[in-house]
Formats: sequence, structure tokens, C-alpha cells
Amino acid sequence: MATIEVSGKTYETDEEGYLVNLGEWDMDVANYIATTESISMTEQHWEVINFLREYFEEYQIAPAVRVLTKAIGKKLGAEKGTSEYLYALYPYGPGKQACKIAGLPKPTGCV
Amino acid sequence: MADVVAPPYRVIPIIPALIPGSMEGLKPFVANDKINTAIGFPGELVEDWHDKAIAKMGELLSKYRSLKVYMDACVHCGACSDKCHYFIGTQDPKNMPVARQDLMRSVYRRYFTLPGKLFPKLVGARDLTKEVLDEWYSYFHQCSECRRCSVFCPYGIDTAEVTMAAREILDSIGYGQKYSNEIIGKVHRIGNNLGLPGPALRDTLEGLEEDVKDATGVDVRFPMDVKGAEVLLITPSADFFAEPHIDSLIGYAKVFHATGTSWTLSSMASEAGNFGMFIGNYDQLRQIALRIREVALELGVKRIVVGECGHAWRVAYSFWNTLTGVGDGADETDRFAQMLQKQLDHRYKQPMHICEFTWDAIERGALQFDKSKNDKHIITFHDSCNVARGSRMGDFAGGQFEIPRNIIKTVANNFYEMAPETTCEQTFCCGGGGGLLTDDLIDLRVKGALPRMEVLQQVVDEHGVNFMATICAICKAQFTKVLPIYGFDRRLVGGVHQLVSNAIILGDK
Amino acid sequence: MVSTLFAILFYLATLMLVVGLLYRINTYARTPAPLKIPTTPAPTTQTGVVLRMAREVVFFESLFKANLWIWSMGWLFHASLALELARHLRYFTEPVWGWVALIQPFGMYAGLTMLIGLLGLWVRRLFVERIRYISTPSDHLMLVLLIGIALSGLTMTFVTHADVVGVKNFFISWMGFSSASLPADIILYFHLFGVASLMAIFPISKLLHAPGVFFSPSRNQTDNPREKRHIAKWASDLEN
Repeated sequence: MATIEVSGKTYETDEEGYLVNLGEWDMDVANYIATTESISMTEQHWEVINFLREYFEEYQIAPAVRVLTKAIGKKLGAEKGTSEYLYALYPYGPGKQACKIAGLPKPTGCV
Repeated sequence: MADVVAPPYRVIPIIPALIPGSMEGLKPFVANDKINTAIGFPGELVEDWHDKAIAKMGELLSKYRSLKVYMDACVHCGACSDKCHYFIGTQDPKNMPVARQDLMRSVYRRYFTLPGKLFPKLVGARDLTKEVLDEWYSYFHQCSECRRCSVFCPYGIDTAEVTMAAREILDSIGYGQKYSNEIIGKVHRIGNNLGLPGPALRDTLEGLEEDVKDATGVDVRFPMDVKGAEVLLITPSADFFAEPHIDSLIGYAKVFHATGTSWTLSSMASEAGNFGMFIGNYDQLRQIALRIREVALELGVKRIVVGECGHAWRVAYSFWNTLTGVGDGADETDRFAQMLQKQLDHRYKQPMHICEFTWDAIERGALQFDKSKNDKHIITFHDSCNVARGSRMGDFAGGQFEIPRNIIKTVANNFYEMAPETTCEQTFCCGGGGGLLTDDLIDLRVKGALPRMEVLQQVVDEHGVNFMATICAICKAQFTKVLPIYGFDRRLVGGVHQLVSNAIILGDK
Repeated sequence: MVSTLFAILFYLATLMLVVGLLYRINTYARTPAPLKIPTTPAPTTQTGVVLRMAREVVFFESLFKANLWIWSMGWLFHASLALELARHLRYFTEPVWGWVALIQPFGMYAGLTMLIGLLGLWVRRLFVERIRYISTPSDHLMLVLLIGIALSGLTMTFVTHADVVGVKNFFISWMGFSSASLPADIILYFHLFGVASLMAIFPISKLLHAPGVFFSPSRNQTDNPREKRHIAKWASDLEN
């Protein structure tokens, strides 16, 4: 198992850099993972991450892209409720990249 | 990921020169102990892997005529040598179908044939060493089991069968692939490849009902776990989750609505995909398929319809009757199959593809369309490999090509074909099939998409094509990722029922 | 002495060919095909399958789609070989069957076209990078063997004119288990040795493609999985 170390704390990850223990997640490690993905976290990025974590809390899975866009739109205004907005924040796909930063397991399957 | 670049188009699509070893050592993540043991495989490479592997190979040779004949029959004529998209994209000679088969054939000859035991060098026979085993792992995970080579082989040798056997052997000694095996674990544990639990699915479906109501003003339902529904829809879980997949799901629901069909999804069998096929494991293939049988019996449905998913349709069309009895024509004494077949309504094909369902409704005049709603799209159609070469639709050979095209032409005005040597039975795989749709193989996926991207570019240049329709969840996900790397918009790919959804007139039923 | 050796050689070669092939065919026939895997579009009826197989075996339909060079050379070789084999029946039948007599004049030239086909295939194997890459020594040797057989046969037909009456007498006699001598002719020895070798290796080499094609599930299965339940014995045992 691979690990990453941020400010003295060790986090276990899988081969692809996703956290193994979701409980270990904190903002430090999120910021760190974001830099490995060449993303610098802004307020807008955090809005998505926070929603993902809330949704996961309830349903034990990341939301569908469509659910995510709709929720972001409702919460933050219709102009942000588009997949273009999300792709602009997370170019490798909001599903996987944002999940990784949010410390959620990777969505698998034909996605 | 940023360093992945698309290979250049070939100026004239000639057969590439060889670059030996160009993909050597490429190795998708190996499944870990937890993933493997959850589905009954050894956790890691076993001590006596050599003997176990040879024994497993012997077992498979006695259980599968395909493997036995294909190991013997190849004459190294080279007919297949330039037919694989991964060979074209990578130029690695071991990605030629014949060379890929020879990775196993060389071992077969050494342990199972007289000349190979006596004169290994002469007939290209090799001992199964750890290096050979690693080579298997690498190159049998550079085959998408698309069967294009088998179209051209004078003996019909299908590399997919060899790849499946190789992966089955690898799994049996604890050397399986993470992506496929993790997903198989999820389908058993949660009901779908995605790991989408029932409540999340219900929430998603309710959201879709709202969306469609907002967009059309019509109450289109997305029912789940409804006992006594006529139709059970089995669709890839990506349809609940990913873009553009979800737009086709909306399309199916609208078709059911407009035809007044009572239908349901199942939370337990919320997955059409069956990665058991990708790893060549009959037990997994069967166990995953049996969930559909159980749900069909439990809900008492009369018909089973399958959504847009390529390999799932191959499994459903070609294998379900064998594995689960979903089909017709079981022997009177076959109690297992009869139990289900007596329940199903045999005025309809069992199982039926959603395209067959929609086309049938169109032919009956049960659906109305406003074609102009698709006028912004200039459309082409990408035949998905498993549908094209491993299944059929309708009553005649080749229906799997005509029916989706007929639907597109019914719901849209602008349709253009890509080059004929890359469509229908000669279609190229999207580059992500067969259990390779994983980020750790993105380089291979991009290269494997080359032949499709080349001919797509042609119709884009000549006709302004801006929509490539397809009926496979893997194709959709793969192209969404790969298109931008070739300089296209990721939204250029979409489903056939996405187009149906755009144009269908719902009325106010 | 040489005659007896050749007689023994041919008895053995025939035995290996017949027993070996029967064994192989029996193995193929008994190995189950648990799943429906025809390469589609595939015929939906049994008659359609017979026609597909006929097109495959007679015209090499799939190969035609794949590559015109391999197809033309391969087809030329196989068709010529078939004609040659038929022509050679006259050495083993008395009286000679009418149709065998009829094809004699064509058969003479089939040797030439067979050689052209073989050389065309070998050129490809030697000079096309991909094909050279996948070739094993045995692939080359097999071609050399066939070319040797063709060349020696052609030499006897057009140059040295072997004692065909003597050859026929040799085979007819030994077929009836009575001895006869083989004309002393070094080219004939070469030719016959080549043929006997080919017969002997047939059941243990890639020449198994000949029976194999008939057992290939991707070609010989009917596309009717929804209409009829297809299940192998070992698979149906899982249901109990």
C-alpha cells in the first residue's frame, strides 16, 4: 500500500492515490492531492468538494454528474449548475478528480 | 494524466512499421488480496503458480473447444496481423492478434504438443517462466476482446477467447487485474459495477423524473422494484451516473412512457454489464447473470429489455439463455430454464434490446417524432464491437447494424456513415473495451482509439459531423475521455436514445 | 532394399496420418463448446452454416476480406494442391476413375501454379516485416518441404520423366500387401520422402488447420441463442 505524508501525518492510499480510509480525510490532505492533480483549490473548488462529502455521507456513493450539477446550481446559482462549470474546475472529470480530492472512493465501471 | 498525447493520424492509413517492445511492461494495477479473495480468487500470486497455471490451461483446453481448436489451427498466415486497433495505435508487434495468441500458443506447444516437447525452438515453444507470465499479464490486458481479428481469420480464430482463457488462468493463480476484479466484487456486493446503493439509485431516478417534468411538462416515470411490471429494464449502471449515458436512460423512459408500457428497473439487478466475460470466468459470468433471473422471477415480469451496453448485449443475447434461461426453446425436461421461460411472453424476443423495442414501436406507428429537434446534430454511428460481432438484433443477420441506424434516421435528419472498412462487422473498438477502461491504461486507450479517430476526422471534415451516436456505455465513457485528447469536443459522443429523447413527442398520456 | 524401406515408410506415414487425425478430430468433437460464439453477422439456420463453411473452405471468404496477397497466393496453392492430389489418385486406383483421367492435363500444370502460390507465400513470409516477425522456423520449413515436393514432382513431369508405371505398380502392390520394387530414381525418392514426411507431421502441426476449421465455433455455430437454449454438459451440471 502506498502512503502520502502531509505535515507530519501519514495517509494510506491505493495505487491510484485515492485515500483508503475515508475517515482520515482533512483539508490538508485534500490540498495536497489537489496539487498532485495540478489544481489549486479555490472557494469554488471547495463548494464542490463539500457537496460531494455531504452527499456521500447520506448515500455512500458520489453523486451522478447530473445530480451534482443540479445541486450546485440550486445551491450556488443556475450559472454554476452546468457540467462546463464543473469541468472547468476539474478538467479530468468532476466524477473522478473531485472524488479523489474529497477523499471518496473512485467511481468504477463504465464511467 | 496531462502527458498523454494522441498519436498522429497516419497520412495514408497504411500498415505501420513495427516498434518492438513499445508497450512492453505496460501493466494495469494488479488486484490486491482483499479484492481477489472477495470473489474467490487466491489473494496473491501463489507459490506453485507454474504447475497451477499449466493445470488450469489443461482444464480449459478440455472445457472449451474454441481454445483447443484455436491453439492448433493457426498457420501464421498474417491475415489478422494488421487488424487490431491496439497494434495500429502502438505498433508493438505483440499487439498483432497472432502474436498475442502466440504468447499462449508457445506455452501450449511446449506442454501439450509432441513437437513442442521435443523441438521447442523449431516450433516456437516456450517454458512458462515468470517473464512469460508477466508478458501474459501485460499483453492480455492490451486486448479489448473486440473480435475484429476473428472476422478476418480464415479459421475464425478469435483472440478474445484466448485473452479470456489467459485472464482466467491468471486469476486462478492470484494474478488478476484490479479494475475488473474490483468491479465484479461490487456487482455481487452492491448490485452494480458502480457501487450505487439502492437509496442513491432511487434518489437519482426521482431527480430524473423532476428533470423530465421540468423540461417537457410530462410526468415520465422511472420506476424501481415494481412487482408485476411488464418489462424489466436491465441497463448499465453508468446510465444512472455518467454523462452522456444518462441522456439515453431518459430516452428509454420516454419510449416506455409513449408506448404505454409498464416497466421497472431493479435495485438488485441494477447492472447490465457483466465483467465475468472480460475475465473469461464462467462461474463469475454465470453468477452475475443469475441476478437477472432471480429478479425476473421475483418481480414476475413478462419481458426483459436491455439498455445501451455493448458487452452486456453480447452476454444477454448470446449467453443469457445458456446461463440463466432468459430466452426460449429450452428442453421440456429442462426444469431450470422452463421455470423462467414459462413466465416470459414469447410473442416478444427474450431478451430484447432497447433498440429492438423502440424500432418495433416505430414500425407499429406507436411513436411520433419531431425530427427537427435533432437538426443541430450532424450524426454518424459508431458500431460497438460486442454488438457488431457478438450479437444480433431483429430477425436477420446484420439487424444489429440496421436497427440502430434506422432509429437514428427516423428521429434525425442529418446522418452520415464513416468509412465502410471501419463500420458494421469491420468496426473498430473504441479502445476501452474488455476491461481496459481504467485510468492506468489511458495511454493504451488513447492509442487504441486512433483508427476510429482517423475516420471520425474524415466525416467531421467532409460533412461537419458533430455527434457520434453509439449504443455502449464503455464506448461513451472512453470517447468522452479520449475525444478531447484528439482535439474534439467531449460531447461529440452520445447515445442513440439520447437522440430519441430529443425528438420524441410525448403527448399528454 | 530401398523399395522395402519406402514401403515401410509409407505404411508408417499413413498410420500416423490416419490415427493422428482421427485422434485429433475425436478430441475436437468431444470437447464441448459451452457458449454461443459465432462471429456475427452469422447464419441463423443450419443450412446457412453449411453455406458459410463451404464459402470459407472453398473460397477462403474471410481471408479474401483480410488481404488479397495472402488470399490469392494461398488460394492458388490450395486449389492447385487439391487438383494435384486428385490427379495423383491415378497411382492408387486400377482402373483409373473417369474423372481422374479427365483432369490429368490440368493437373500437370497445377504443379506449376502450386509452386507459384508457395513462392508467393514464402516471399511474403520472408520480406514483409510483420509476417517475418510471427514466423517460426517450422513455418519456413513447412514451405520448404512443400516447395521441395512441388519442384521434384515438376522435374519428374517435365524434365526427367519418371517411370510412372513402375511407381503405380509399387503402390498398388503394397496396398495389397504384396511387395514390388520402386523405380530407382533419386528425384522420385526425394519426392516420396517429402510426401511421407508431410503425412507424418500433419496431425501434430499447424496443418491441423484443415480439420480445425470445421470445428471452429466462431464459424460453425448457428446464430440462434435466443430461440434455442444451448448448454454443455459440464455447464448444466452447475444447475443441479
